[in-house]
Amino acid sequence: MSIELIAYTRNVEETSLLIHDVNIDSVICGHSMFSLRTLGDVDLDELIEIRKLTNQYNKKLYVSVNAIFHEDMLDELTSYINKLDALQVDAIIFGDPGVMSIVKEQHIKTKLFYHPETLATNYKTLRFWQDIGVDRVVLSNELSLDEIIEIQNNLAIPVEVQVQGMTCIFQSKRPLVSNYYQYTSMNKEEKNAYFIRQAKEDDTHYPIFEDVNGTHIMSTNDICMLKHLPQLFDNGICKIRVNGFLKSMDYNVEMAKCYREAINVYMEDSDIYASQVTQLMEKIEVLQPKHRKLDTGFYYKKQIY
Amino acid sequence: MQTELLAPAGNLEKLKFAIHYGADAVYIGGKQFGLRAKAGNFSYEDMVEGVNFANKYHAKVYVAANIIAHNDDLKGAEDFFRTLYEIGIHAVIIADPSLIQLCKKAAPNLEIHLSTQASITNWRAIQFWKDLGISRVVLAREVSVEEIKSIKAHVDIEIETFIHGAMCISYSGRCVLSNHMTERDANRGGCAQSCRWKYDLFEETNENESQIITDDAAFTMSSKDLSMVEHVPDLLNLGVESLKIEGRMKSIHYVATVVNVYRKIIDEYKQNPNNYILQQTWIDEIWKAAQRSLTTGFYYHTPSDKDQLFGKPERLPKYDFAGLVLDYDPQTKLATIEQRNYFKIGDDIEFFGPKMHLFKQTIKEIYSIDDEPLTEARHPMMKVKVKVDQPVNTYYMMRKRK
Repeated sequence: MSIELIAYTRNVEETSLLIHDVNIDSVICGHSMFSLRTLGDVDLDELIEIRKLTNQYNKKLYVSVNAIFHEDMLDELTSYINKLDALQVDAIIFGDPGVMSIVKEQHIKTKLFYHPETLATNYKTLRFWQDIGVDRVVLSNELSLDEIIEIQNNLAIPVEVQVQGMTCIFQSKRPLVSNYYQYTSMNKEEKNAYFIRQAKEDDTHYPIFEDVNGTHIMSTNDICMLKHLPQLFDNGICKIRVNGFLKSMDYNVEMAKCYREAINVYMEDSDIYASQVTQLMEKIEVLQPKHRKLDTGFYYKKQIY
Repeated sequence: MQTELLAPAGNLEKLKFAIHYGADAVYIGGKQFGLRAKAGNFSYEDMVEGVNFANKYHAKVYVAANIIAHNDDLKGAEDFFRTLYEIGIHAVIIADPSLIQLCKKAAPNLEIHLSTQASITNWRAIQFWKDLGISRVVLAREVSVEEIKSIKAHVDIEIETFIHGAMCISYSGRCVLSNHMTERDANRGGCAQSCRWKYDLFEETNENESQIITDDAAFTMSSKDLSMVEHVPDLLNLGVESLKIEGRMKSIHYVATVVNVYRKIIDEYKQNPNNYILQQTWIDEIWKAAQRSLTTGFYYHTPSDKDQLFGKPERLPKYDFAGLVLDYDPQTKLATIEQRNYFKIGDDIEFFGPKMHLFKQTIKEIYSIDDEPLTEARHPMMKVKVKVDQPVNTYYMMRKRK
């Protein structure tokens, strides 16, 4: 069993820190023209540098191309995918099945990871993607641990899960914050950060932001599965992703470091894991912004419908 | 293929009304795998009756099985699709590949339409599904008229697109607000419509401080409802195969009114496209059933604040569905009416029936079923006779302005 620790990166500097300070296994980057909610907009020149660096240290580089594409983007998308293939990135992460059509037509050799956000929820569906050539599936965040394990047990390819950070809970094509400003005749500054709060739920804090893909709303809490990692690893869930979205470079690297240390403890002696992670949890609580509470997402939650 | 008018049918009664008022096809939900857990939904027995009824009128019945399934939801899917095929259901509307696979296995000849929940926005994605044997895709509501044109130019597949009804403000299927705020899974039929709630919006001034923006007006994310009533020819000209009306939870009055108008528009335009003139009456009819203000969504531009519901709702013309015509006697000019809302002598009401037959009158005479004169129809579902100015028929409806 090999555990893979994956983090997002926004540039060469962060990639370097993730390699040297964290000994990260893999990094993900992307550009908002083609990807949803990457840490920053990494252009092709920077991507080439990141590829060099990751190659040098034998680290994997995945490029996220999981936007929902409209007609006007298809030509650029085809050209971008070809460039990624030429650059020999280790995987293209996609959500829109249109990417599959392009990959087939263009004889793209790069591995494919399927990451459709909310749509990766059962093993039969993921087996379908596996059977048509997908190399990994990134699971939806609204799954319980039991469901995740059952999915992995029924697949030949690995599943990847998010274990740290905020998750996207909504995407609209509409510019919802700008529309609100328009309605109230106020001026919206391009760069400002916003969040929404549920009425009568004063401690909720859902980040909301706009980009070329529309409006996105993020979860009120950050997932933190550090304490429970053995439950994942023991059950063969070994591709874990930390997500420093809307956080600083420093936070992203320090958080990834905590997870690296936790993995090391687990690998050395899984029996002492519980006692050893207490210190790491203290470190995480210092790192964590006060208004962002930690929880375990849907790993231990029951949903109704 | 002729452009099909596709209407929602939450139950057997709504199915019959939709077809009588001119729907070429209806979509319904079964007891499993659908996204409208709270709609009436159809038992297999109801489906048999629905299909028999539809066949008589050369109409089709589709079943929406459009949940995004979890592992445990898949049990019984093969039996479900096999039974639908045996019943004679004409197609199923599916979003999740697991259910597509199970359907193909259990009922290889059952047509599969890809649901709007799959967020299909480009021809490359459509090509992908076409290659896997999907015969029709329901486009995401974010696709514009120009984009449909481009899609049509690139791939030969049946296109179904929404023309009327309520809309998700998110990409359908890409919203889990409800899961997070209420622990109800939106993609399995539990949507709590959290987007339409009121929120406070804050601007982050620095790490630990923020400033409320919504002092005067709450932040909401509620879309106006879609209506293409003024633009149907744009879609007909593109050769879109199916025009879809949303609303399996809506009343028979809503379904009849909306279907009636779009049927009329499609027929008028097809008959004489060069001399087609949009009638104000048709627009007025649509507003009589409207539950929110209306918008053309993404068809012509990215929706602005004008396409959303902010602040106090606009005042809409409100009509009550007052009665349903069960029978008509041409001799006495008395219509037997089942009361659905209170009415009395002196009320100004309107009758309408299929083919946009509309007329207004004042109620002058009401009788009990035993021909005793009455002054009002007081009780829900009571049957009375009303003197009518023009001939009516079963399936006609009577509405009254509030």
